Amino acid sequence: MSISLDQVTKRYQGSTVVNDVSIDIGDGEFFVLLGPSGSGKSTLLRAIAGLTGVDHGRISLHGRDVTHLAARHRGVGLVFQNYALFRHMTVADNIEFALRVRRMRAAARRARRAELLRLVALEGLDDRLPAQLSGGQQQRVAVARALAHKPEVLLLDEPFGALDAKIREELRRTIREVQRELGITTVLVTHDQEEAFALADRIGIMNLGRLLEVGRPDDLYARPATRFVATFLGAANLLLARQGAGGLSFGNGPLVVPYQESASRGRTHEVVTVLRPEEIELAPSREGLRSPYMADGAVEEILFSGALERLRVRLRDGAAGAHIVRSDNSSEEPYLEVTRTQHEQRVFPLTPGQQVALGVRRLHVLPTPLSSFVACAATQALAEALSREPLLAELAMRMKTRVAVRVEPALGAHRPGSDAAAASPASETDAAGADFSGAAVISAGVPAVEWLLERGVDEVLILPERAAAPARVLIHWVNESARRATLAVSASLLRHISAEAVYVGILPEHGRPDAPRPLGMRALLDARSEAQFEHGLDMRTELRYGDVARELALHLAESRDQLLILGISDASEVSGRFAQLLANPTSPLLIVYRRAEPAAVHGPLESSPRVTAGQLRYA
Amino acid sequence: MARGNVARPLTAIRQPSVLPGFGLTFGFTTFFLSALVLLPLAALVFMAASMSWSEFLHVVSSGRAIGSYRLSFGASLLAACINLVFGFVIAWTLVRYRFPGRKLVDALIDMPFALPTAVSGIALTTVFAQNGWIGQYLSVLGIRVAYTWIGVTVALTLIGMPFMVRTLQPAIAEVQRDLEEAAETLGAGRLYVFRRIVLPTVLPAMLTGFTLAFARAVGEYGSVIFIAGNIPKKTEITPLLIVIHLQEFDYRGAAALGFVMLVMSFIVLLTINLIHSWGRRRLVATAH
Repeated sequence: MSISLDQVTKRYQGSTVVNDVSIDIGDGEFFVLLGPSGSGKSTLLRAIAGLTGVDHGRISLHGRDVTHLAARHRGVGLVFQNYALFRHMTVADNIEFALRVRRMRAAARRARRAELLRLVALEGLDDRLPAQLSGGQQQRVAVARALAHKPEVLLLDEPFGALDAKIREELRRTIREVQRELGITTVLVTHDQEEAFALADRIGIMNLGRLLEVGRPDDLYARPATRFVATFLGAANLLLARQGAGGLSFGNGPLVVPYQESASRGRTHEVVTVLRPEEIELAPSREGLRSPYMADGAVEEILFSGALERLRVRLRDGAAGAHIVRSDNSSEEPYLEVTRTQHEQRVFPLTPGQQVALGVRRLHVLPTPLSSFVACAATQALAEALSREPLLAELAMRMKTRVAVRVEPALGAHRPGSDAAAASPASETDAAGADFSGAAVISAGVPAVEWLLERGVDEVLILPERAAAPARVLIHWVNESARRATLAVSASLLRHISAEAVYVGILPEHGRPDAPRPLGMRALLDARSEAQFEHGLDMRTELRYGDVARELALHLAESRDQLLILGISDASEVSGRFAQLLANPTSPLLIVYRRAEPAAVHGPLESSPRVTAGQLRYA
Repeated sequence: MARGNVARPLTAIRQPSVLPGFGLTFGFTTFFLSALVLLPLAALVFMAASMSWSEFLHVVSSGRAIGSYRLSFGASLLAACINLVFGFVIAWTLVRYRFPGRKLVDALIDMPFALPTAVSGIALTTVFAQNGWIGQYLSVLGIRVAYTWIGVTVALTLIGMPFMVRTLQPAIAEVQRDLEEAAETLGAGRLYVFRRIVLPTVLPAMLTGFTLAFARAVGEYGSVIFIAGNIPKKTEITPLLIVIHLQEFDYRGAAALGFVMLVMSFIVLLTINLIHSWGRRRLVATAH
């Protein structure tokens, strides 16, 4: 491996700029770090170059640990966005700078300079000053200068940022050619996805300091694993759908779109789907579609943009419920983005307002355990107030999902058991149907949690009023059968908030015969490596001794800005030993419930199937 | 620049500008320069010229005068050199680092500008006199500051410091961090980066600052006379000697000394300016 980063973390003034990033970049690979500004990609590049120290983790170049090595001994070439040429030196002096430092003979220097100038196509400009060159030429000089001392790694920090489109394209080609010719391992940082697609062998996408996904450009585009990557890499429509054995349905429509990929949880459940604008087909009627029918819609707006036609299409009837952003949450009505080629335009010309049938050529289901949130309360007013809780709104916004409101009078009755609920049928404002979908959000109460779990809800978020944004997420699962789901939900949540993940392991106190079998160290390490391997989630581990419920309560009481994710597989524990913890929590609490399956009694290692490295990460 | 502005007709120099007409502004420039600088200087030269040659030589080459030249120019040069180093460090610190109280320190730099120079002279004397805060410890070491040439240098350093710092600050701000970082990734050590990247960029500003600090020090009077002790031939600066001549109503003697100062200052400043433009021309010359 040319560049190997192992759990690199960088904090700056209290905030984590680079959060636990691990990558291996192969020899001669062109790797692009892509992310919005402030995602930590430049800091990571500077850490590789040695211009910024790291707080945690290891950096190796060609098998040599350089974590504590000064930049000048690392043998890297760095190109800056603003060229950073030495303005008082000529092109020749700039390029020869690294060679002079190394006391190379003048003749050898001249030969190397000529070679480099040929490489970047700037022959004959040796004696110019940087100020006499155009931006594109200056950046070529910077590239030549960075390559002069034959570095093992070339690092480029937004090298095209200050150039206009045409020059950018030209320089992009030059850099790709130079990289191929020299076979030098290259890392380029950019926020421009087009640039990333054009250059990269592999792309790593960063957000909020975390490396979300790594993969080949076409793979990442076709099969993103996270909502962020799906929407950041090209345009994407995110829709909620219900996945059953036969396929997918949008809104409360019938199961229509056949979809067999990815194992479902057995029964019908809510999923998040990614529809690329170019994968949606429009036809006058359902019969005219060549791809599977999805829903009916109406054309809202048509924009002509050269080769492609961009349309906004509103889903009609029941299918409208599939929109992630509901009309009551946003000032703008939700719509689908559709692009059509010239050919498609000629076959079926459209005008605004026209009714169309929509088909899906291809779609992708995000492997996300948290598809949406449903704020549940006994009255409409209470439910709406809950849905407007700042923390919930923030979470939904960051996770690009929606908060639905659902009135369940049964939640008002403070009696355990479901008699009252069965007597009064639930009044619906959620369009998804009688079944619950997504994670339920309630304000408090043990009976409410029990009632929801009985109705097939898998995740319940107990949200106290005006809960603070968590700085730390505590993770604990009571039984091994809840482990996988708890880890998946934790990873999904932590991908969208910058908080520290802490696994709280609780062992019984010594000398107590009635204590349950301790969770062994082995299992604990397995859990950590599973979190790292499958979800890219790095957890700090804290060990405590004593009663599980009591220790968790004590831990939560330490500070208010914590969130607990509790995995259980026995619903009776809610009113049992966790009753006190759940009754009136001061911090938000997310319960992940997975019924124990009798077959799964293997050791932790066997029970976790190997997944292709780093690919199956949850959104 | 110097290549032929004079030969070109005025219209060629004229460029659209926010200020009213070229003729008007140029006229003002010449008028003010003449009234405030050239005419008084001419009067001085004229006054000195009214002396006979031997008279003139007698005044300007007396032992007392020679001693004062040595002190005035020597101490001024030394003070400017000290400022070159310490002014650079201060300016570097103020530009590069963010620390609590930075604004306060930055404001303190201007104090020697604002303070009446006599006040700084008295203050320095209090501190550096043999029983002063610092002077008492220095005298143990056998170093006497007040009433020696060292005191003169200290006073002149203080007076020149703000010129150095204020000239250097914008130039140092110009040296971007990434230039140093680029040099570092190319393998250069700190000293090399300083010598090859930082210094060449700030050198013109350093020369300008040096010139200003030196010029100011040569003309300084108020602060020096308090700390110098004014012992003839030893700690007597030329401006003081001129004042002494004036007090004796020897206007022509004063003018003669003034003329010598004028010539020597002019030579020093011209030399620095030549070095300056030579350096710049060398930079541009390599471009072709």
